[in-house]
Amino acid sequence: MSPEFIDNFSRREMLKSAFFGAGAAAFAELLGVGGAAGGTGVLGSPHFAPRAKRVIYLLQTGGPSQLETFDYKPILNKRRGEPLPDSVRRGQRLTGMSGNQSLLPVVGSPYKFHQYGESRAWVSELLPRTAGVVDELCIIKTMYTEAINHDPAITFFCTGAEQAGRPSMGAWLAYGLGSANANLPAFVVLCTNKAADQPLYARLWGTGFLPSEFQGVQFLAGKDPVLYLNNPGGISRDARRRQLDALDKLQQNQFNKTGDGEILSRMAQAEMAFRMQMSVPEVTDLSAEPEEVFKLYGDDSRKPGTYAYHCLLARRLAERGVRFIQLLHPGWDHHDHLPSGIPGLCRETDQGSAALIIDLKRRGLLDDTLVVWGGEFGRTNYSQGKLTDNDFGRDHHPRCFSIWMAGGGAKRGVSHGETDEYGYNIQDIKNEGVHVHDLHATMLHLLGVDHEKLIYRYQGRDFRLTDVAGKVIKNLVA
Amino acid sequence: MRAPAANLLFVAVFTAAAGFMSREKPGDAPVDFQRDVRPLLADRCFSCHGPDEAARKENLRLDLRESATALKKHGVAVEPGKPEESLMIEKIYETDAAQAMPPPDSGRKPLSPAEKEILRKWIAQGAKYEAFWAFVAPKKPAVPPVKRADWPKGEIDRFVLSSMEREGFSPSPPADRATLARRVAFDLTGLPLDTAELDRYLSDANADAYEKLVDRLLASSAYGERMAADWLDLARYADTYGYQADAHRDVWPYRNWVIRQFNENLPYDDFMTWQIAGDLLPHAKFDQVLGTAFQRMHRQTNEGGSTEEEFRVEYVSDRVHTFGTTFLGLTIECARCHDHKFDPLTQQDYYNLCSFFGNIDESGLYSYFTNATPTPVMTMETPEQKEAIERAQSDVESAIQALRIARIEAEVQLLREPAQPPHQPREIVGLEGMYHFDKVAEGKLQNEVSKDKPGIMNDGPAPVPGVAGKRNGALQLSGDNNAQFPGVGEWNYTDPFSLSLWIETPDRKERAVVLKRSRAWTDAGSQGYQILIEKGKLSFALVHFWPGDAICIETEREIPVGEWTHAAVSNDGSGAASGLKIYLNGKVAPTRVVRDCLTKSITGGDPGALTLGERFRDMGFKNGKVADLAVIGREITRLEALEIYQMNAPATPAAEPDPELVREFVMNSSKDVEAAKISLRDARRKLAAARDAVVEMMCMKEMREPRPAYVLTRGRYDQPDLKRPAAARTPAALPPMDPAFPKNRLGLARWLTDATNPLAARVAVNRLWAVCFGRGIVATTENLGIQGAPPSNRELLDWLAVTFVQSGWDIKAMLRRMVTSAAYCQASDAPPEIRERDPENRLLARAPARRLSSEMMRDQMLAVSGLLVNKIGGASVKPYQPPGLWSIGWGGEYQTDAGEGRHRRSLYTYWRRTVPPPNMILFDSTKRDVCVARRQNTNTPLQSLVLMNDPQFVEGAVALGRRAAAGGGADDAEKLKLLFRTVCGRAPEPAESSALAELLGAERAEFNKNTAGAGEFLQSGGVADSAPAERAESAAFASVALTILSSDAAVTLR
Repeated sequence: MSPEFIDNFSRREMLKSAFFGAGAAAFAELLGVGGAAGGTGVLGSPHFAPRAKRVIYLLQTGGPSQLETFDYKPILNKRRGEPLPDSVRRGQRLTGMSGNQSLLPVVGSPYKFHQYGESRAWVSELLPRTAGVVDELCIIKTMYTEAINHDPAITFFCTGAEQAGRPSMGAWLAYGLGSANANLPAFVVLCTNKAADQPLYARLWGTGFLPSEFQGVQFLAGKDPVLYLNNPGGISRDARRRQLDALDKLQQNQFNKTGDGEILSRMAQAEMAFRMQMSVPEVTDLSAEPEEVFKLYGDDSRKPGTYAYHCLLARRLAERGVRFIQLLHPGWDHHDHLPSGIPGLCRETDQGSAALIIDLKRRGLLDDTLVVWGGEFGRTNYSQGKLTDNDFGRDHHPRCFSIWMAGGGAKRGVSHGETDEYGYNIQDIKNEGVHVHDLHATMLHLLGVDHEKLIYRYQGRDFRLTDVAGKVIKNLVA
Repeated sequence: MRAPAANLLFVAVFTAAAGFMSREKPGDAPVDFQRDVRPLLADRCFSCHGPDEAARKENLRLDLRESATALKKHGVAVEPGKPEESLMIEKIYETDAAQAMPPPDSGRKPLSPAEKEILRKWIAQGAKYEAFWAFVAPKKPAVPPVKRADWPKGEIDRFVLSSMEREGFSPSPPADRATLARRVAFDLTGLPLDTAELDRYLSDANADAYEKLVDRLLASSAYGERMAADWLDLARYADTYGYQADAHRDVWPYRNWVIRQFNENLPYDDFMTWQIAGDLLPHAKFDQVLGTAFQRMHRQTNEGGSTEEEFRVEYVSDRVHTFGTTFLGLTIECARCHDHKFDPLTQQDYYNLCSFFGNIDESGLYSYFTNATPTPVMTMETPEQKEAIERAQSDVESAIQALRIARIEAEVQLLREPAQPPHQPREIVGLEGMYHFDKVAEGKLQNEVSKDKPGIMNDGPAPVPGVAGKRNGALQLSGDNNAQFPGVGEWNYTDPFSLSLWIETPDRKERAVVLKRSRAWTDAGSQGYQILIEKGKLSFALVHFWPGDAICIETEREIPVGEWTHAAVSNDGSGAASGLKIYLNGKVAPTRVVRDCLTKSITGGDPGALTLGERFRDMGFKNGKVADLAVIGREITRLEALEIYQMNAPATPAAEPDPELVREFVMNSSKDVEAAKISLRDARRKLAAARDAVVEMMCMKEMREPRPAYVLTRGRYDQPDLKRPAAARTPAALPPMDPAFPKNRLGLARWLTDATNPLAARVAVNRLWAVCFGRGIVATTENLGIQGAPPSNRELLDWLAVTFVQSGWDIKAMLRRMVTSAAYCQASDAPPEIRERDPENRLLARAPARRLSSEMMRDQMLAVSGLLVNKIGGASVKPYQPPGLWSIGWGGEYQTDAGEGRHRRSLYTYWRRTVPPPNMILFDSTKRDVCVARRQNTNTPLQSLVLMNDPQFVEGAVALGRRAAAGGGADDAEKLKLLFRTVCGRAPEPAESSALAELLGAERAEFNKNTAGAGEFLQSGGVADSAPAERAESAAFASVALTILSSDAAVTLR
């Protein structure tokens, strides 16, 4: 028998042989490895004591400008309009969008920066609420990636590979660690409901080659918070119960006849679906939240589908033990008209992000909830297109950008790493650079998982989230 | 508290596995290298001591006997016959973690005591190596003897029974006929038997009733659809390009092709050849070329700013991976960045394979601004279109003939009355615009021809002195600014036209846009015409889609730097590169043809105004100067080109015009000639319109010169290793390609279908086996390599492979052989002890039970409810999908089809890669991003929600319930029996009947009380409402139907 078959041996096949004859209830208990069912995941228990039990990933898609948010570079204001010195650019590749420009004029942020909190971290005036919680944050100014276009870059952040076909991070965790709530999915996805140039797609929360039960379940703003959750019109909960009871009898008969344990598993899944029909509306019903909570998250949090609403919903999901909660907020792709675009994006996200930190903290959840904020790459320090007195744009920039982490064992109140004077390269990439694989390795580390040991064999090869690279950045860990 | 359960689970696996193994080799039987040893070495050792040279430690290869048994620095790893002297044995039994193998920190699982013993024994028995079985061509093994001679129906059964008997198993009894009929109907057609067909079979008492049923199923057109559903996973078929914009593309003719070939039972060797190299077959027919669309189904991007070459390389790689998985059953992609760690595939092999698949004239980006089909393409004329094109073509021929005659007449006229010396300066006929850049008023450039169409300056090109000695000014461009000329030069390729201007470039330009009428370039695939400086040379191009649908010429010599040069270009309207000319300083410049393959219009995608100096996201004419632009709506002659040049040339000495030029001019400018040219232009416009109307399909078309190919260092597109060129060669570890085969895709296909190829037939029959038995003889149907699962019955696989080839690669015959075997016809039910002893059912002592695939699940519901629209082929359709899913992406909201599109078979459901249909993904459809040979098989709560709540499934249940309520049957019991049998293909058992009767009673009572609720339920989907009096009854039956459709008897093939 090949190792592949021992490693990935179908749980169900095994259960059928090992626990044959156990009743449906016991079976359901045993079944709970991942996906929507509660359970321990394939690892059984983490490799070492976890600092974080769950993750809320606030993915800002499109590539937020680090220069308008966390990376303060006054020289760019002083040198405004001057060409980017070759000594800074060092011949690195640009996208085809600005790469053919005859002039690459540097441009500083039009927004004021101040130092905040005890940590004295620099934050731009566009993020006043985030500035208010800066002592909780571990700001990484020296993130870098390899991709320069959206699709490969965001795929890289979500799955650890630029090419399609690999499992997403949430799927890895659902597979490895399972869910802490038997009635909710282990991996929930919340996309802000807004039109944007950078579309979001199911691949980003897909399972790749992992079994599809581990895929992210998208919660939607509409009538069905989970696809197909509601009974058809005219079918009450009692009627559904009657259908399921009849279904149970049919299937029990079939099981008695065939001896196939898969039937018991299907019965358990139907019951789980029935429970989800209660648990999902319960978690997505914000009506019981007190007024002050809505005040904390801002007015948007009353409107389903907004970022602030999803931040509040993320807290509720975290409270109920959902393992990986991923928000996706598009619109940060400011190739042109950045000054008229980015303030709106900051307004949409600033209060919700900060409120989430405050809310988790006061409920004692921040200690074991890792919150991550950031996009798939940063933006250039020079203007894409024409630089005018009050307008400019910034192109994609993978060489350095800023993200932050909070809670879950990440260091509090620090800014990690420095970019060069022009904000174009990482000053000391060897010691301070944080590659996407490093971020993933560090996140897994905080979750008690050795990133080299959460593996899945596919097509004869062992795959992991961090591919063949990645190191835990100890300086980010409290 | 859950941990113990999980641990128990693993104990169970190992117990099962170990138990299985121990039975496989009792006593001191020789260790089987293929089965027992190589898998261990591969898994624990090869990553450091295997084929990958870069990762190799201690220069030791355990995959090769010579290396394993050679004396190295620390000793001999494998000393045949002497385990105690073998370093390997010392290392695997080592207790010091720092010394032990595999190293604890390697991520490799430690060897168990039993595994260590296998290795020890193997060395003790002489450390025999055998070539990996799958890399050696199969020989037809002898059919083994069996004890129970009455069971086998054919050779398959003797192989199966022999291995069962070896393991002490015996076959299960035959499945009951109704169960078997349902199983084989789904396996061969993806649909249930309808009740009439089932009854026909059940009432046929002849001995060959089952074989006849099989023949009917194989002959039905639903067979091709069922087989296509699997093939489309391998072909990564989708109706959109993927990546972020994920735009629509029309590729469904390829799906039609697949269905058609399966139904016509195209021999599998041809099926492979046509898809790999149909375009290269002598006198390739339409269907042979269309097969090559298989190679183009991969994802493609048009994201702004992407590097063209990066993605072109990605596409070629995708073709190689797909080729490897589909036809060789090898994970070739593992050798992209380094030598394969397990299989003997080197990085050189990988790029050699790439060079088979990279020789098409394609772009790494599809068009952002137009809907041009990425080249190369084939045209999909309808008969009417074909006729219209032929008619237009013949009109063009006639017009050409008429023009020729007009010219001869003009020449005759010339001989009669010699031409008057042309007076100078002659008026330029057909002038649409003439701009001298000294005349700038209010930022506008005056047009000497029509005052109301001035040029516009954007971001201020600087006025500078013009050509020395002349009055006219000039403009200096920055590379980012431009001058635009609206309302002139709005031509298609059919329109004869000319352009003239003076240029001065300050330096040798690698690339600079001098003049263009098109929207954007590198990342946008725009249409239009252009004059560029490329690598110092002047080029002139008309483009529908670059590079595969365009004409382009460039000067043989570079143009002068720092010196005013007069440039003129002309197009004759023929659409051929031979109709383009470049003149430099009044004389025809020698040129080279860069592309000559224009077939479609160049005016799509909003090309905007004729522009000097810059283009969106392209390299502008930085610091270049331009002067005196003339925009001429006819093809100028050599004489005119000379005169236009002389008009503004500095101090041109007046020369006597060359009589030859005069003759040419006169022949081309008589009144009759001009009229004939207009007629020709109009005929060509009609032909262009007829051609533009034809749908195109991506396909393969080999370039004349193969593209130079190299090994890419670490797989990076921009790091070709120039010292390691790649050539069209097959992997070195496999049998070589016959030198007589051509060194291209056709040769590759010949190699693949050659009897000496060890993989192609095995991979194919293994997948066909999985169609019938739920899993392959090699369970990893995508990987027959060293890390693939070992075959459960290698002799059977080889026998099938050789038989398949000998049958002329006859797919239907092979499937027939499989589904008529006794092994297939067994019952799938089995007592616990049998399941425990063989949980994976490797021995087939029972038939496999499988959940329906995503397609079958939905198609069954459509079929049994009577909603199915049975129409073969055609464009994709959009059935029900929850609202709002598409709006997170581009491409607008999903519009559910009205009418039949809601009820076609699921393989026709529109596949949008970034937002695939959720009710199919939830049942383990592949994502169609990359080639996948084997689907997951999961069981989740979300599946339960689909079956009971998805409007598509509820609609089916309602239709079914309504028919049951109104249909035959004297009483409830009769009606329920019919309903159950319609869905599940068998009569309900007493326990089932009573559960259904109880539910029906409760539902009827409930809906009688709540008729509004009944009405609401019945309105799910688009089925017409029942009469009010019948609502409660229909709803009650519909509720029962929904329950039956969700039950195991419906969702599982038993």
